Amino acid sequence: MVNLTINGRIVQAKEGEMLLTVLRREKIDVPALCHHEAVEPFGACRLCTVEITKEDWNGYSNYVTSCLYPVEEGLIVSTHSPKVNELRKTILDLFLARHPNSPEIRQLAADYGVFKTSYETVVDGNNCILCAICTRICDTMGFHAISTVGRGHGKEVAPPLHQVPPDCVGCLACALNCPTHYIEYTFDNNYLTIWDKKFELMVCSRCGKKTITKEFAEYLSKHRDIPFSYFEICDECHRKELAATMGQITSWEREA
Amino acid sequence: MHLDNPQQLIDWHDKIIAKQKKIKKKILVCCGPGCLANGAQDIIDKFKTVLKEKKISGFTVEALKETGCHGFCEQGPLVVMEPKGLYYTKVKVKDVEDIIEQSIKNDKIIDRLLYNDPQTDKKIERYQDIKFYSHQKKVVLNNLGNINQCNIEDYIANDGYQALSKVITSMSPQKVIDTITKSGLRGRGGAGFPTGRKWATCRKVESDTHYVICNGDEGDPGAFMDRALMEGDPFSVLEGMTIAAFAVGAKQGYIYVREEYPLAVVNLQKAIEIANEKGLLGDNILGTDFSFNIKISRGAGAFVCGESSALMKSVAGEVGEPRAKYVRSVVKGLYDRPTVLNNVETFANVPIIIRKGASWYQKIGTPKNSGTKAFSLVGKVRNTGLIEVAMGTTLREIIYDIGGGIIDDRPFKAVQTGGPSGGCLPASKLDLPVDFDSLNEAGSMMGSGGMIVMDDLTCMVDVAKYFLGFLVNESCGKCVPCREGLYQLHALTVKVSEGKAEEADLEKMEKLSEMVIIGSLCGLGKSGPNPLLSTIKYFRDEYMAHIRDKRCPAGVCRALITYKITDACTGCMACIAPCPTNAITGKKNEMHVIDQELCTKCGACFAVCRYDAILVS
Amino acid sequence: MNYRFIVRPNLCTGCRTCELACSFTHSIDNIRGITRIYPLDGGFKDLWVPVTCLQCEDPACIKSCLVDALRLNPETGAIELNQDICVHCMACVAACPFGCSIFDKQHDIIVKCDLCGGDPACAHFCPTKALEWKPIEVKKKKVAI
Ligand SMILES: Cc1cc2nc3c(=O)[nH]c(=O)nc-3n(C[C@H](O)[C@H](O)[C@H](O)COP(=O)(O)O)c2cc1C
Ligand code: SF4
Ligand code: SF4
Ligand code: FES
Repeated sequence: MVNLTINGRIVQAKEGEMLLTVLRREKIDVPALCHHEAVEPFGACRLCTVEITKEDWNGYSNYVTSCLYPVEEGLIVSTHSPKVNELRKTILDLFLARHPNSPEIRQLAADYGVFKTSYETVVDGNNCILCAICTRICDTMGFHAISTVGRGHGKEVAPPLHQVPPDCVGCLACALNCPTHYIEYTFDNNYLTIWDKKFELMVCSRCGKKTITKEFAEYLSKHRDIPFSYFEICDECHRKELAATMGQITSWEREA
Repeated sequence: MHLDNPQQLIDWHDKIIAKQKKIKKKILVCCGPGCLANGAQDIIDKFKTVLKEKKISGFTVEALKETGCHGFCEQGPLVVMEPKGLYYTKVKVKDVEDIIEQSIKNDKIIDRLLYNDPQTDKKIERYQDIKFYSHQKKVVLNNLGNINQCNIEDYIANDGYQALSKVITSMSPQKVIDTITKSGLRGRGGAGFPTGRKWATCRKVESDTHYVICNGDEGDPGAFMDRALMEGDPFSVLEGMTIAAFAVGAKQGYIYVREEYPLAVVNLQKAIEIANEKGLLGDNILGTDFSFNIKISRGAGAFVCGESSALMKSVAGEVGEPRAKYVRSVVKGLYDRPTVLNNVETFANVPIIIRKGASWYQKIGTPKNSGTKAFSLVGKVRNTGLIEVAMGTTLREIIYDIGGGIIDDRPFKAVQTGGPSGGCLPASKLDLPVDFDSLNEAGSMMGSGGMIVMDDLTCMVDVAKYFLGFLVNESCGKCVPCREGLYQLHALTVKVSEGKAEEADLEKMEKLSEMVIIGSLCGLGKSGPNPLLSTIKYFRDEYMAHIRDKRCPAGVCRALITYKITDACTGCMACIAPCPTNAITGKKNEMHVIDQELCTKCGACFAVCRYDAILVS
Repeated sequence: MNYRFIVRPNLCTGCRTCELACSFTHSIDNIRGITRIYPLDGGFKDLWVPVTCLQCEDPACIKSCLVDALRLNPETGAIELNQDICVHCMACVAACPFGCSIFDKQHDIIVKCDLCGGDPACAHFCPTKALEWKPIEVKKKKVAI
């Protein structure tokens, strides 16, 4: 256990824990757009930046991203110092210039008092904030279907060579976790399309409810040692089946 | 021959010396990047054929050396004749026979090939007497220009591998680190971190393995010191790395070479093979139980890959994106193991320090900045090329003595150091001693050693715009302050250069710069605004001229200038054809006019006019 | 002391108190969560079966989760889903052979029975003791040498 001071309050934390985890636990509101617990911290959005210092730093302080900073004994943290707030405002201002149409960005910026960008609006700026949550989740799940490509201001998220991604199984994790809901997908009858790839959906053999994609089911069955038949009926019909089986057993018990 | 103990190295050294003593005269042909580009290879080939044909007594092909960069690239191809130091510049293939006939056979000097000092307009025979050389202090670059590239015998004859032998036979790892610490060596890759301290930290981390990496990414535009070293003196880099490995306990090393340096890769690879063969690298070095292997890793061609954490990711085969360094790479670097990363030049310093001792080294330079630093001096100076000076040498000495002053005696305006992370220093800083601390204090940086001299025809807004534009593309694009912040800073400088900015924009730029500096993840973003901030700091007037008067004093920013033909025009018609938009009209022997509507301000007419009749305003 | 969740279908009257208890207990911001327990028709007269997670020993849900969001809580024996890690890919919902990983439309999350962290509300409120949370003696298994 280590002791640190956050906004004047003494807080305990586990060794090796990241500062942001502690801030969240203590219900201190620090914005974070590139953070997702399923993947390693990344440090791209810089919104979670806080000011840190220590008793013996002689008044010197440093700015660090709390998502990546391991807690230390004696750390003195301010999460909303004037400089930190100014930095967050600047970042949100820059975001607004690039993603003027993103409701999520606009909301967050408004929370920090930024309603209109003070910079030049980037022509054809889309809503992808390049947090790489999608690609990192995809990598962590083991698919590596999409990645960030290019560098500098022209960086983007895309499948390899901008082609239909061969390794995508259509799990939708990228799209569902995108903080700005940038990744598009469509359901059409028994099909799902994402990254221009069309997937057939599993259909419950009893009630006809659609579940995950066939490719995802096949992947899980093959790599995770789960009988494929499990995927052939939906959760509700699974429960009904269990009720019927247990009902049968109970009725035998009653007779006995 | 494989060397199985240190004694064999000594014996070999003596044998080489005895052999080389017999060679009285040497012809050194510079095969550095500059001279090669100007045809040095053809000269070498010619020398070889002529020497074979002519059979000169006491003179064989062995006396011909294909050396690394001699430094004075703009005078190349260079041919130097030892022992006298006779120095021929701009040599052509057709001069080769003459050189052999007159200078080799008959010790005669060929006047037309001598260097002409532009300041005194006198011919100089020996290179030691040329100001470009006489004000330099060659320590690290000493072998360059003197020995055959990739020739281990030459390297050993020049005391090569004595340091490694000393380390292995008589020093403990701790003692090596202490020596380096005492020498005061600071990393030559830019930040100037004390090398001894870095090694000591790395050594202390317990791990199954440690790594040593040499940073040969050299991404600063215009810089080529590391390239010259890797190509011209690869063994010194290998020896330095091997000593570092001994000190920190590493068994594996990597040299990360920038993609654009194929010759460096070839020469390093050759050197690694030779060193392995000789038992100076690989398993059981010099018969001891110390083993160290080096692999070459080829860069991904991105500036940001020179940044330590991005470089390590790239070596490991991942995308070269920096990561936060709250846990430093000396503790958790390549493959999460403790890793020492140093610049090429840093490593090349190491054998010299070990051989000559820390106190000897300390005496060069200034107390907190010992040793020398190599620079590539480019821009509007008379003498451009690769130079090495003692730390603490003033900018004035470098620019006016070594560099020979500004071309056409124009006024000096600024010098840019440190590449895209550095800044521009004005004339008032000419007496600044060049070292890590003074440059930082003045708002620039040492960087890896690029030095660009600018005259009054350079617009500082344009310079800032250029570097920011470079960084907008070269930023890895991971973090927002750098990716979006530098983009907006660039957009604002464009606005200034187009005369569309307001005074408030200047303050906006300064504020945004500060946020980019504190907010960015890696050194690229953290130093990216330097070129802008330093030019605003020292050349505020020039910014104001763009903003308030809509005027570019240097006549560079296209939107703010007009080309006009004055009565000096002789009506020679030379400018009519080059104009891409046919904006110039005029009859022979009559004054021409430029149609301002059509003029795109490309400057093509200005460049061809022999009568200075075109006025930029 | 070890606890076990015990289900006795022959005592279940289908009153669905457990559903309510579960749903209320798992409210988020005062909005009720979806129930993790379902008293379903057992297929025979007056026979109800409360269907809920069996906390399997070789759980398909854990195997299906590619981001390690599902983990066994050794103290309660429950397989718990960490909402912060979950990426909503629905793998576990599709994989559970008993349909006990459930999508909660209301909150847009995936849920499953967590035994209320060691004090299941459903068992508390079941009027007929069809559901019970009971301490049991665990006999140490003899290990064959
Ligand atoms: C954007 C960026 C680019 C860099 N490029 C180089 C480079 O090209 N060569 C180099 O040696 N160091 C470069 N560095 C510095 C390295 O990160 C590192 O500090 C250095 O290689 C350490 O070696 P040293 O201690 O010997 O200087 C760069 C740093 C940054 C932030
Ligand atoms: S698509 Fe969404 S999740 Fe992916 S990098 Fe862009 S903003 Fe982040
Ligand atoms: S500062 Fe620039 S180069 Fe460095 S991590 Fe951020 S975006 Fe990449
Ligand atoms: S959450 Fe820490 S930098 Fe984005």
